[in-house]
Amino acid sequence: MKSRERLWGYALIAPMALGLAVFYVWPIAQTLYLSFTESGVFGGQTWVGLDNYTALAADEEMTGALGNTLLYAALMLAGVPLSIVVAALLNVRGLRGLGFYRTIYFLPVVTMPAAVGLTWRYLYNGDFGPINQLLAAVGIDGPYWVADPDVAIYALALVGVWSSIGYNAVLFLAGLQGIPRHYYEAAEIDGAGRLRQFFRITLPLLTPTTFFVIVITMINALQVFDLVYLIFDLKSPALPGARTIVYFFFEQGFLKNQRGYAAAIAVVLLGLILVLTAIQFRLQKRWVHYA
Amino acid sequence: MRRTWPAHVTLIAGALVMLAPFVWQLIVSLQTLSDSLRVPPVLVPSWRWENFADVFKTVPLGRQFLNTVVVTVAITAGQLLLCSLAAFAFARLRFPGRGAIFMVFLAVLMVPQELFLLPRYEIMQGLGWLNTLQALIAPGLFGAFGTFLLRQFFLTLPTELDEAARLDGANPLQIYWHVMLPLVKPGLLALGLLSVMWSWSSLLWPLVVNTDPEQMTLAAGLASLRGQFQTNFPILFAGSIVASLPVIVLFVIMQRQLIAGIAFTGTKG
Amino acid sequence: MRKRLPIAGLLGLALLASGCGSSEPEKSGNVEISYALWEKNDAPAAQKIIDAFQKANPGVTVKLEITPWDQYWTKLQTAAAGGAAPDVFWMSSLNVRMYAKGGVIAAADESKTTGFTPATVAGYRYDGKLWALPFSVSLPALWYDKKLFDAAGVKYPTADWTWDDVKAAAKKLTDPAKKQWGIMTPMWDQGGFYNTMIQAGGRVLSADGKKSGFDEAGSIQGLEFWTDLMIKDKVAPQAQVYNDTEPLQLFQTGKIGMQYGGSWFAATYAANPEVKSRVDLVPLPKGPAQEGVIVASLANAVSAKTEHPKEATAFAAFFASEEGQKIFSDAGGASISAREGTQDGFYKAYPDFNLKGLFEGSMPHGVEYPVTLDTAKWQDVQNKLLVDAWTGKRPTADVAKDIAVKMNEILAKE
Repeated sequence: MKSRERLWGYALIAPMALGLAVFYVWPIAQTLYLSFTESGVFGGQTWVGLDNYTALAADEEMTGALGNTLLYAALMLAGVPLSIVVAALLNVRGLRGLGFYRTIYFLPVVTMPAAVGLTWRYLYNGDFGPINQLLAAVGIDGPYWVADPDVAIYALALVGVWSSIGYNAVLFLAGLQGIPRHYYEAAEIDGAGRLRQFFRITLPLLTPTTFFVIVITMINALQVFDLVYLIFDLKSPALPGARTIVYFFFEQGFLKNQRGYAAAIAVVLLGLILVLTAIQFRLQKRWVHYA
Repeated sequence: MRRTWPAHVTLIAGALVMLAPFVWQLIVSLQTLSDSLRVPPVLVPSWRWENFADVFKTVPLGRQFLNTVVVTVAITAGQLLLCSLAAFAFARLRFPGRGAIFMVFLAVLMVPQELFLLPRYEIMQGLGWLNTLQALIAPGLFGAFGTFLLRQFFLTLPTELDEAARLDGANPLQIYWHVMLPLVKPGLLALGLLSVMWSWSSLLWPLVVNTDPEQMTLAAGLASLRGQFQTNFPILFAGSIVASLPVIVLFVIMQRQLIAGIAFTGTKG
Repeated sequence: MRKRLPIAGLLGLALLASGCGSSEPEKSGNVEISYALWEKNDAPAAQKIIDAFQKANPGVTVKLEITPWDQYWTKLQTAAAGGAAPDVFWMSSLNVRMYAKGGVIAAADESKTTGFTPATVAGYRYDGKLWALPFSVSLPALWYDKKLFDAAGVKYPTADWTWDDVKAAAKKLTDPAKKQWGIMTPMWDQGGFYNTMIQAGGRVLSADGKKSGFDEAGSIQGLEFWTDLMIKDKVAPQAQVYNDTEPLQLFQTGKIGMQYGGSWFAATYAANPEVKSRVDLVPLPKGPAQEGVIVASLANAVSAKTEHPKEATAFAAFFASEEGQKIFSDAGGASISAREGTQDGFYKAYPDFNLKGLFEGSMPHGVEYPVTLDTAKWQDVQNKLLVDAWTGKRPTADVAKDIAVKMNEILAKE
C-alpha cells in the first residue's frame, strides 16, 4: 500500500519534474557554463575563464544598465503607495461602482506590454505628443521624454507605475478586506478619526501584503524588458540612460550573438535578485507585523 | 451613513489618467499619418479604417493571431494538467524526497527567466524547432508557479475525502480526477486566466526563438511592425488594438475570477 | 457553472498545434531553392524575377522568404551556424567579408558583373574574389518640399547646388514661430555624414582599410556641416526630434524644407497622395572639396552549403542579368536596378520624382560604402560617440578624434 503510494507520487510529478529539469534546471547549469566561454560568429565556444566577468566590470554599458535598472526599481517602489491609496479608496464602506473602477484601473495590467510601450512612445513624442502639447498649453516646455538620456528612465518608470497600479491595488484590496472589522470598531469607540485609523490600524496590519507587493515589484522591475524594447529602439540616443540589464542581455545575446557575454550578464542579474531579495527578507522582521 | 463622494472624485480623476492613453490610441488608430503629427493635436479621428487593412497587408497579422491563440491555449491546457498533477502529488501523497523535490521547484521560481533563454534556444536549435510553434509552447507547459499555486488549493481540502475514496478502492489518479480536481476549480480557473494573460503577452522568448513573421505571436509581431513602420503611429496603434483586445475582452468577462486568483497569490502565496 | 474543464479537448488542440509549422515535403523530381530578403517593398519585383526564372528553368522552384531587417541578420547568422542558410540570400557589403571569411557563402563569377558601375561591385570583393552579385543601388538624395520653397520665394534646388546654397536656403525656410525648419539632419552614415565627409575632402577609412579617417580635417569639416545646421545656425530640428519622429515621417508633415534622404524614400512618398505632388529630389550638393556620394549596393549571395549549387548560382546570375534587372526596374520597388542602362522602368514607376536626374548626376561621383571585416563593430563605436556631437555636448572635432582612436584599436585587431 505504502510503496504503491510512493510510485504514484513519483509518477504524478514525473512529467512536471522532467519538464522543469529540461527547460529550467539544466539551462541554469548551461548558462553558468556559457558565462565562462566566448562564442564564435558562426557557432562554437571557447573557454575563457573569468574574462566575461572582468570585461563586464569594465563595460560602461553594463554599469550604466545596472544603475538604470536599480533606479527604475527604486522608482517603481516609490509608486507603491499610490496603489495603497487606490485600494483604500476602493475599500471605503458603502462605495458604489467598485467593479467599474476596478475594471478601469486594471485595464493597463491586462494590456499587452508591447502595445502599452507603443502607446506611450507616442504620448511622449517631444513635438507632437499629447503630454508635451498639454504642458505647452500651460506654458511648460516639456523635455524629449524618450530621446533624452537624463529623463528616459523616469519616463519609463512612469509607464511602469501606470501599468501596475491596478495589479498592486487588487493585492492591497484583498489585504484590506482581510483586516477584521473589530479593530476599527474599537478605534471608533476610542474616538480615533479616519486618518488616524488609517495610520494606526490599516497600514500596520497591511504590512504583510505590503511586503509581498514590494518583493514582487522589485523582482519584476529588475527584469523589465518589454517596455524598454518598444519605447526605445536600437538607435535611440536615450539608450545609455534607458538600457536595462535584460535589454543589455538581449542586445548581446541575440542581436550581437555574444552568447557567452550574455550568459555572464544573466548570472549577474541572478546574483542581484538573490541579494536584494535576501536583504528584503532580512529587513522585513523590523517592520512587517504578522497578526 | 458616511459620505463617499470624496472617494468618488479621487477615483474618477485617477480613472481618467488610466483611461486617457487608451482613448488616445483609439483616436490615433483611425487618423492619417499627417493628422497624428499636428500641433495643436487633432482630437477627432479621420476615420481612416485603411490603417487596419494596412497592418494586415504588411504583417501576417491574421496568421499571428491564430498562432497566439494556439500557443496560449496549448500552454494553458498543459499548465493546468501538469501543474495540477504535480500539485496533487505534493499535497496529498507521501513519498520519500517529497520535501527536497519541492524545494527545487521553489528554487526554480526564484530564478529570472533570462537564465533559461540561451540554453533553451540551443535546445530548440538542436531539435530543429526554431521558427515553429512548438518552440513557443514546449517550455511554457511547465511551471513551478502553477504547481505551487495549486498545491495551496489542494492543501485546504479535508483529508477525509481521500480516505473515503481510497476505502472505495480508488487509486490516486482516480482520486485526483474524480474527487479532488472538481474541488479546486477556483484554483484552476485562476491559474488558467493568469496563464492566458502571460502567454498572450509574453515577448522576450517569442522574439528570440521565432524570427519568421509567419511563426510569430502578436507581441513579437508588434515589435516587428514597429521595425517596419517606425513612428507611423496610426498603423502601429491599429496593430496594437487588434493584438491586445482579446485579452481585454476576456478580462472584462472573467474579471471576478481573475482578480480572485491574483488576490489569492497575494494572501496565500 | 458545473461544467468540467475540457482538458482532453485542450490537449487535442495542443497536439494539433505542435503539428503546425512543419514544412511540406518537396515534390520528387523538383528542385526547390530558398531565397531570403528583407525589404518588403522589393518583394513583388523579386517574385516577378522568380516567375521568369522558373519559366526558363522548368523543374526549379524558388521559394521567397521575407524577414524584416530587424531580425534578418540574427536569423541568417543562426541559420548559417547550423549549416542551414537559405540557398540564395540578400547580402550587404557591410557584412559580406564576415560571411566570406566564415565560409558561409560561395565565391561568385566575376564575369557576370560586366556592365555594372565599379562602385556597385567593389564592396563585394574580398581576398581577391567576388562574393556576391549586385542587383540594386541606393543613392543619397536631397529631397525638398516645393510648397515651402514657393511660400518662402526660394528657388528650387538644382544639381549644381553647393553646401552654401543649402545653408542659405535653409535659413530662409526656417520659421520658429510656425515650427517650420529649413532642413533635416539625419544623423546616419549612408545618407548623411559619410557623404559630407567625402565632399569636404575627408574619408571614413584609409585606402587599405587599416586606419580610420575620422580625425582628418576634411572629415571633421564634413561632420561639422551637420552640427552647425543644428546647433549654430539653428535651421534644423535638434537631435532628439528624429528619435521621436522618424525623418521619413517628419518630412511628410510639411514643416520641413529639405531633407538629406535616400532614393528609396520614393516608394514611401509616392504612396502618400498628400505628399507625392509636393516633393522632389536632386543629387546631393557639392562640398567645399569635391562632389561625392556614397553608392550602397545590395547583392545576392549563394550559400556555400547549398544542396543545389547549380540552380542557386543560376538564379543569382539571372537576377543580375539584363533581363532580370529590367524586370526588377519595371516593378518600381524600393531600390534602383544596378546594371547600367536598365533604369528606365524605375523612372517610369515614379513619374513625380526626378530619379533619372539623380541617378545620372550621382553615379559619376559614386564612392563605395566603406567596409572592413567587422564593419558593424566600429560603426557601433562611431554611432555611440557621435551622439555627443549631435547633441552639442562636446565639440565635434574632439568626438571625431576619439572615434579615430577607438576605430584604430578595432581595426588593428582585424
